[in-house]
Formats: sequence, structure tokens, C-alpha cells
Amino acid sequence: MMIETDVLVVGAGPAGSTAAKHAAFNGADVILIDKKSEIGAPKRCAEGVSKEGLKKLGIKPKSRWVTHEIENVRLVSPNGTVVWLNQDKVKLPEAGYVLERKVFDKHMAMDAARAGAKIKIKTLAKGLKKEGDQIIVNAESMGESFDIRAKIVIGADGPESRVGRWAGLNTVFMPKHMESGVQFEMVRVELEDKNSLEFYFGSLAPGGYAWIFPKGDDIANVGLGVLPTKTKKSAYQHLLEFVKSCPATKNAQAVEINVGGVPVGGPVRNMVTDNVMIVGDAAGQVNPLTGGGIISGMTGGLFAGEVSGAAISDNEITKDRLAEYEKRWHEDRGDSFKKYLKAKDYLLSLSDEELDSIALAFKETEFENINTGELIKNLIKVSPKALLKLGKLF
Amino acid sequence: MIVNEWCMYCGECAGVCPQCVIEVCETGLKFDEQTCEDCKFCVMVCPVGALEKDEQK
Ligand SMILES: Cc1cc2nc3c(=O)[nH]c(=O)nc-3n(C[C@H](O)[C@H](O)[C@H](O)COP(=O)(O)OP(=O)(O)OC[C@H]3O[C@@H](n4cnc5c(N)ncnc54)[C@H](O)[C@@H]3O)c2cc1C
Ligand code: SF4
Ligand code: SF4
Repeated sequence: MMIETDVLVVGAGPAGSTAAKHAAFNGADVILIDKKSEIGAPKRCAEGVSKEGLKKLGIKPKSRWVTHEIENVRLVSPNGTVVWLNQDKVKLPEAGYVLERKVFDKHMAMDAARAGAKIKIKTLAKGLKKEGDQIIVNAESMGESFDIRAKIVIGADGPESRVGRWAGLNTVFMPKHMESGVQFEMVRVELEDKNSLEFYFGSLAPGGYAWIFPKGDDIANVGLGVLPTKTKKSAYQHLLEFVKSCPATKNAQAVEINVGGVPVGGPVRNMVTDNVMIVGDAAGQVNPLTGGGIISGMTGGLFAGEVSGAAISDNEITKDRLAEYEKRWHEDRGDSFKKYLKAKDYLLSLSDEELDSIALAFKETEFENINTGELIKNLIKVSPKALLKLGKLF
Repeated sequence: MIVNEWCMYCGECAGVCPQCVIEVCETGLKFDEQTCEDCKFCVMVCPVGALEKDEQK
């Protein structure tokens, strides 16, 4: 059996559904496939997004998939020293809403369908080959094997990122650039402030951090990410220790466990090759400091969708034309990812003692009246190596 | 490769496999053992320690 289409999107996460939606909006015939039996489940995410990010993508928040609104951020150093930041005063990525990803992802796929995309769930892409100026993807669904012939394939297959590799792109993530994430969704979480995202730093999560993202009432995502090259224990063992030692989770009970990898080494070198584009986690479109990839991946999906739709309607499916997508994504991010990478290098270079002394120095700071420049100046006073690592950036 | 029962098919192992030999189905992992180069990156990154090298092979 052979199915034909203009654009085939592999993976119905936020990046893939956005790509499918915009390709369809721009007039292309689109098929969106995902191996999952339920789009969005299981979730592999702490579900934090910025309001600004959604707005820029033209997505209006819906009560069906927003669980909670965030006002503050609480940073906790290894010895428990707390620094509060107010979301309105200091701009923070991934702070705004905590979503219900299982519902959100499904809704994004529904939007793609409403734009005209055909969706095939429980459909696994198994491989890809080029035939003339088209791509043939072999897929399997419910015991049936078939081929899909497409003019353009968009790989939105998440951290596995195999579609790009099948097409000859180098999308292997090195273990030192892949956070291992694990999380419980918990109830009976006792938070100081129910409207704050909490971040815990230091050796409790080597190469990463631990988080508590509240979802309303006494419910929260409690998780952490570690770099596997920086610890001998599994992320899961680290999480068990964190939950045991953190005052907020003393009485908390898990109702769900989530695991997953987060590519944090920055975007892959090439996101486009002949007739193939990759978007989202698959292309490393993840904030290297926070590990947040929903908004930047959807931004990738938006551009890839628009560019592929336009290329189809102009019947000009060249590599140069498709490369517009990659260019637009880089322009949109500017140098922010470079800054986040540096900031992360700096953060990971700090010992528990250094983190404690920085937290202590910032504890009383009135962040209401401080701009980023002053913040860095103060930071350099307590942590001279910040000058070396961050000085030139901000 | 031995895939323990507590694997959750998240695909992190597949993302770091330099040989691209791990196929992640919704509820199953398939390894192409012939092409595996035994680097054990997959074992190392698994968040829940679900993979073990099958030393018999
Ligand atoms: C523990 C954890 C916490 C996180 N917290 C946050 C957060 O708070 N905020 C944030 O912004 N980001 C967070 N992230 C990152 C975020 O989850 C990802 O960046 C985001 O999901 C990427 O979207 P995507 O569409 O690129 O890929 P995914 O959401 O991974 O979707 C990929 C889809 O492709 C499908 N697929 C893969 N291979 C195939 C195939 N061969 N055939 C068919 N279908 C296939 C999969 O089933 C999946 O549905 C977190 C990640 C983890 C692991
Ligand atoms: S990383 Fe671990 S849990 Fe995830 S799919 Fe691989 S073996 Fe399974
Ligand atoms: S040992 Fe290395 S080559 Fe073999 S499956 Fe694991 S990551 Fe791939």
C-alpha cells in the first residue's frame, strides 16, 4: 500500500502538531503520524511555559489545558537558602503557566486536524528512503506495514531524533549533552507559595537541577534532571533522595512517574537537508539552561510548517528554499541560546558552597528595583568567576 | 541488551545511540544487536537504569 501526500510530519508532540497545522494552513496536503495510542500520553515534561511564548505563537490559553498560573520563582541553594524572584520584574524563561500536557498536546493535534491535516495515531515510522525527488517513509500501524510517499518530511520525533539521521543529518546527542529527567506528579505537596515555581540547585542533581512546579491545590510536578556523565546514580535514585529530604514533599504521594531525555547541548548544526526538515527536540531546539523546549520547539514547527507549505504551493522544493526555516528559527532565537549555554556552564561550575554564598548574598536583594546589569554586577562581587564566564555576555 | 520490565519507552537511550540501532515502539524496545558497538551510552543515560548489557552475547 502506498499513501501520497505533500508533507508528512513524524511525531505529534507540540513541535510536530504546530508544523502540521501551519503546513496545512499554507495549502499543503499534510499527514501527521505518531506511534502513541494517545497523543500527549505519557507526558515527558514539567509543563512550564511562558505566557509570552504562547502569545507569540498565537495560542490563546484555555482552561482545559492550563492548570495553574505562576507569579514567582523560588530558588533554593544546597543548604536551603532561598532567593525569591518576581516573574513581572525579572524575565524568566518557562515561567507563566503550568500546563496539562496530555490535554495540551491533544489540543494542538486537534488544531492541526482543523487546519486540514490528516492524523494517524498508533503509527510508527520505521525508516526512510529517497526516491527521485520524493521521500518514502515506511510505517507500521496496528499490524499493517505501508509506505508514505511525501514531497517533504518533517521529523518531529523528539529526543530520539531518528528521522533526521535516516536522512543523513547528524542528530546524535552525546550523553554529556542529554539530561536524564525523571519526575513524579504528586499530591499533598506543601509549598511555601502555591504560585511559585521552585528550583533546587547543587549536588542533589549533578549537571542539572530539581524542580517543583505547582498544578493547583496541593498537586505538583516534582522532578529533576541530571547529566549522566556527572553521576554514577540513576536520575531516579537522585529523585528518591530529593523527595525524602525536601520539606515540601515530606508527606507527598506520587500518582504518576515520568521519565525522559532532554537535549541541552544547543541546536543541531543542520536542521534541513534535501526534502527533510527536523523540528523541536529532534533538532535540539531546547533552552540549554532550563531544558524548556515547548515554546522553542513550537516556534520551529511554526516556521517549518510555513516554509514547507509555501514551498509546496510554489512547487519549489529545493534545499535552499527549505533552509529558510532554519534561518528564521535562528533569527527568532537571536543569541539567547548562546547566553543560556554560557550561563549553564557557569552554573555547573559552582560548588555547593559557592551556590550557598551566592544565595546568601542575594537573599535580601530587592529584585523589584534591579535590572540584569546590576544583577550581574552584584553576582561578580560574590562570585568573581562570574566575570570570566558571564561578564562579556550581558 | 536486556530491557528490564520498568523501562518506560521514553527513547532517551535511542537519542544517544551513535549507531542509531534502537527502535522505540510505544511499549517495546528493539535493538539491532549486529550493529551495536557496545559503547553502553544507552545504559548510562537511562533515567531509571532499565538497560543491562547481556554479557552472554
Ligand atoms: C522531565 C522533563 C521535564 C520537562 N519540563 C519542561 C518544561 O517545564 N517546560 C518546557 O518547555 N519543556 C520541558 N521539557 C521539554 C519538553 O518536554 C520537550 O522540549 C517537548 O516535549 C518537545 O516537543 P517535541 O514536539 O519536539 O517532541 P515530543 O513532545 O517528544 O514529541 C515527539 C513525538 O514523536 C513521536 N515519535 C517519535 N518517534 C516516532 C516514530 N518513529 N514514529 C512515529 N512517532 C514517533 C513520539 O511518540 C512523540 O509523541 C521537559 C522534558 C522532560 C523530559
Ligand atoms: S532510556 Fe531507559 S526507560 Fe527510556 S526507553 Fe531507554 S531503556 Fe527505556
Ligand atoms: S551500546 Fe552503544 S551502540 Fe549499542 S545500542 Fe547502546 S548506545 Fe547503541
